[in-house]
Amino acid sequence: MATQARLHGTDERVIGANQRHAALDLARRLPALVVSAQHIAASVAHGVHGRRRAGMGESFWQFRPFMAGESAGGIDWRRSARDDRTYVREREWEAVQTIWLWIDRSPSMAYQSNLAPQSKLDRGLVLGLAAADLLVRGGERVGLHGLTRAFATRGIIDRLAEALAVADRVGVAEDLPSSQPLPARSRGVLIGDFLADPQAIAATLKGLASAGAQGQIVLIADPLEETFPFEGHVELRDSDTSARLRLGEASALRTTYLERLAAHRDALRAVARSIGWTVMIHRTDQSAAHALLALASGLAPAMLDGSAFGGRG
Amino acid sequence: MLGLPLAFAVPAVLGALALLPVLYLLLRVTPPRPQSIPFPPLRLILDQRPRQETPSRTPLWLLLLRLAVAAAIILAMAGPIWNPPAALRNGVGPLVILLDDGFAAAPTWARRIAAAGERAAAAERDGRPTAVVPMSEGARAVQPGSASQTIERLRALRPQPFEPDRMQAIPVIEHLLATSPDADLVWIADGLENGHARNFAERLAALTTKHPASVLSSGSTPDALAGSDNRPDALDIRLVRANETGPGSGRLHAFDMKGLAIGDADFAFGTARETHASLNLPVELRNEIARVAIEGEDSAGAVTLLDSRWKRRRVGLVSGTTADVAQPLLSPTFYLAKALAPFADIREIRSGSADPIAALLDEKPSVMMLADLNVGPGIDHDRLASFVEDGGVLVRFAGVRLAGAADDLVPVALRRGGRTFGGALSWDQPKALAAFDAKSPFAGLTPHEEVTVTRQVLAEPDPGLSDKTWAQLTDGTPLVTAEKRGKGLVILFHVTADTTWSNLPLSGLFVAMLRRIVDLSSTTADPKTSRAAGADQNAATLAPTRILDGFGTLGSPPASAKPIAAGVPTPPSLDHPPGFYGPADGLVAVNALNAGDTLTPLDLSGLPLDRQALAASEPIDLRAALVTLALIAFLLDALATLWLSGGLRLRRTAATAAALLIVVGGLSAVPARPARAEDGLNVSKQDMQSALSVRLAYVVSGNASLDNTSHQGLVALSHALADRTSLTPGDPIGVDPARDELAFYPLLYWPILDTAPQPSSAAKARIAAYMKQGGTIVFDTRDALAQRPGGPPTPEGAWLRDLLSGVDVPEIEPLPADHVVTRTFYILAGFVGRYATAQTWIEALPPVSATEANRPARAGDSVSPIVITGNDLAGAWAADAEGQPLFPLVPGGARQRELALRGGVNLVMYTLTGNYKADQVHVHDLLERLAR
Repeated sequence: MATQARLHGTDERVIGANQRHAALDLARRLPALVVSAQHIAASVAHGVHGRRRAGMGESFWQFRPFMAGESAGGIDWRRSARDDRTYVREREWEAVQTIWLWIDRSPSMAYQSNLAPQSKLDRGLVLGLAAADLLVRGGERVGLHGLTRAFATRGIIDRLAEALAVADRVGVAEDLPSSQPLPARSRGVLIGDFLADPQAIAATLKGLASAGAQGQIVLIADPLEETFPFEGHVELRDSDTSARLRLGEASALRTTYLERLAAHRDALRAVARSIGWTVMIHRTDQSAAHALLALASGLAPAMLDGSAFGGRG
Repeated sequence: MLGLPLAFAVPAVLGALALLPVLYLLLRVTPPRPQSIPFPPLRLILDQRPRQETPSRTPLWLLLLRLAVAAAIILAMAGPIWNPPAALRNGVGPLVILLDDGFAAAPTWARRIAAAGERAAAAERDGRPTAVVPMSEGARAVQPGSASQTIERLRALRPQPFEPDRMQAIPVIEHLLATSPDADLVWIADGLENGHARNFAERLAALTTKHPASVLSSGSTPDALAGSDNRPDALDIRLVRANETGPGSGRLHAFDMKGLAIGDADFAFGTARETHASLNLPVELRNEIARVAIEGEDSAGAVTLLDSRWKRRRVGLVSGTTADVAQPLLSPTFYLAKALAPFADIREIRSGSADPIAALLDEKPSVMMLADLNVGPGIDHDRLASFVEDGGVLVRFAGVRLAGAADDLVPVALRRGGRTFGGALSWDQPKALAAFDAKSPFAGLTPHEEVTVTRQVLAEPDPGLSDKTWAQLTDGTPLVTAEKRGKGLVILFHVTADTTWSNLPLSGLFVAMLRRIVDLSSTTADPKTSRAAGADQNAATLAPTRILDGFGTLGSPPASAKPIAAGVPTPPSLDHPPGFYGPADGLVAVNALNAGDTLTPLDLSGLPLDRQALAASEPIDLRAALVTLALIAFLLDALATLWLSGGLRLRRTAATAAALLIVVGGLSAVPARPARAEDGLNVSKQDMQSALSVRLAYVVSGNASLDNTSHQGLVALSHALADRTSLTPGDPIGVDPARDELAFYPLLYWPILDTAPQPSSAAKARIAAYMKQGGTIVFDTRDALAQRPGGPPTPEGAWLRDLLSGVDVPEIEPLPADHVVTRTFYILAGFVGRYATAQTWIEALPPVSATEANRPARAGDSVSPIVITGNDLAGAWAADAEGQPLFPLVPGGARQRELALRGGVNLVMYTLTGNYKADQVHVHDLLERLAR
């Protein structure tokens, strides 16, 4: 049979060492990620790391010649005394960004077809945790929306995974995050399949962004969901509800389905655009590293030209 | 049906096959349950009614499978039978079944009875009376009766263990045909000519010109055993068969009297009608054999019974003369051995034994033959007397010693001296043998006229002399006398066993007489049957004891079995069926087939008889097969349905495992030939390689750097050997004496590490065995710098002492300057390594003899098993891959390193070549001698 798919059981959904190792493995393939923020200067929380550019901070960055019109208070007299010119001591720009992560862990995520190497949930967790590790290495603080505060610890993957596991033990995850607004000037990263009703999604997203937070949506889809390759006599089951649809000739419905799917995604994109968020679609048969790179470039567009990240030492 | 041998018990059921098209239509519109697939984005299209709903159909192959199941069940219900029983020819008269019931019919007896029963049942359906005439009871008149009586009688019939004469049934048949001329005759023949089958068939054809009689015969005839011969080396069984074709091979089993299997032998006819099989067993076991049967051949012909006539007896031969093996014709035992060899096992004490009689009696012979030996009072006499009392046969031959001093182990009192005929001082002519008396065991033998006696010992004319005489000369003087003592016999030949007194030992009569005597040795136990006791054997009859039935099973004798006359060969018949006759300790076997008998196939060519094959194969009820087939197809259908509805997908591994299990189960059901080629070859790869090439070896100490040094040192030495000598050693190897087999290594280098644990006692035993078996161990204490003359032993030295305390080490001495090990390849003064100061110890040589005093090299008888040095040889040899030395030397210098390598070369050469270099110093002398 060409198409085979299954929903992972609850025991398979438990977040364990596999995802942590995979996430760590994935994160280590990319350099540390530093979020580019438009409103960094006004950020309240100061980070411990410099931004490799002159700005507000405590660490020495560089001396530069004094330019006319500058405040004389910036002149470093000790340096200037060495020769005839006057120098200004510049300090490194030190700031930190907070990223709020949300990973969909609803039953529909625990879905894997024979076309994909892992389930959507696994891929989402790996992607999310790897991004978290990457960000923390870049000096940012990462938290789980609605679950934890933002951390900047080295063992961020373990912290987040534990928090997720505890939350999953307590109850079944919803397929959308709570619409509690994200703090202003923080970033949101939502990872999920976003198969819910477009109105519900729109309400949630608007709620999240109501304080002005920017964000990115990673829509994870199984190739089976993208292509609808069924033929002949098939019975389709919903994953979250008990709905069933028996099709005499499934291939007849393919066009309709693809249209509906495109419309759904267009609605999602429209909502995101209205609040200034971006949407990224990732198929589980593609490489996770690819998705992570895309996510990273979305978070730090400058990273692609190489100036915004790199080894510190 | 349709030319096939197929019939249906209930053909009406086949009408149900017409329903199959209906079933086809029904099945076609009820497809299997669809595949159920989880699909999270279902809510996007949940509101959709399918626009196009093509009616799904059952796949064609599934449809066909299901139809096949239905068809198979319908066919099974119709009761199909393969090879249905043949119908009977129409007729009105009685049906007379002539049944061959000889042993040849036994293997196919059930089929024969079934075929007869079928015909009887068919005759009953037609309301015809039936009768059965078994050939063995052919002379008994029969009256046609109802089929149930006939079938009952058929069931009671058993094959007879012999081939009955069919001609005796002819009068009965004639009588039957006279009373009811329209009778149908069916002869179920066993396919053998034996028992006048051709004559019978001709007569039958002549009698039944109106209704040709039917002849049912099976193509195959059984194999049979005809005669056996207990030869010196094996029991030889003769096998015969009637046809040249057929499988013609099989296996014989031999059983003892209690029915326990003793041995077996294979036979193969090839294309012949006669073959032989031999049972190669020790004579004691062969003598136990009472019955030999062909495996899987249930017939009396496939069984041969062996009585005491087939037993080989052990005969002990003792001669009083000093046997001169260079002149065997002068030895009496030579003639006896030649005469006895065909039928007895001869035990002879050649020479060197202090007490040959006792030695022979220990071997428990049946017959003792003393050739011209005087048995004086003593332990030998007593043992011989008790031997005779216990049933042994003592045969004595006269001679000058016996004539001089007769003892009491003779049957008759003897006159001193004896007499000579035809000598220079005698008028008498050499005397010939008289005819044997009927009471004598030799009765029936023909005394040859050529047999003459020139000298004999004479018996005192006692009253009972004539009773004791078994053979006499023409003048009435006894030649062979015998007396029964206890359970045994004492027999005296009044002549020698060699040709000095008569030419009897040269004649065939001698062999025959000895054979009869040896045959007696088993029957002496029972006075009633003992011919020596003078009983009137002609009147003696032997009652049947255990009788073979037609299937070749021994059982109690039937009422019809009558006793046989003793001593007369009895052909098997209804009165004397094959089996054992006589008392338990003197059984006489009567066999269905004897040596010389053959089996001849029945020839019916040219006779107006209706020939039919005895049902070639039995009717096979196909119901079970069809139902099984339907069940299997049904299971397949269930699996396919499961698969189609997606139930099997995620359990593919389980399904694969199940399929594998089925395949494996099927394979294991097939009796696979066990592959045991590798059995017993428990040789490691390392041992295999070591055995294939000469390798130097070192003992692994457990210290990595030391082991490395040893290895590199031996590698360097191996290279030096390959460069300089004709020896190309394999790669050196580290061994553990406790674990590895040491036998492959001529030389074992053992660097001592005082911190290593002492080997276990088992390992020490292996080390000792290695040294005993010719291995050489070079112990290197590597402590030359620490040694102090007269001081306490170094730790390594103490360790070595501890080790060798548990090993049997020969006496050792400091290496003498002229020891051969210093001459084997290079001429050396000693063995140096990294150090040059330590003494080398080696097995002490024997003291110098005067003749060897000026030789350049000395050697013991073997290679020294032990060499002890303290100079760290491997350290000096060791070099890296480029050949650069690894360790500095003390005192140092290239010369010392070269000398160390030369020492190693010498050591290896010494272990490989031994002391030949010491012998080579003689080459000069030898060449001089050759030139002289």
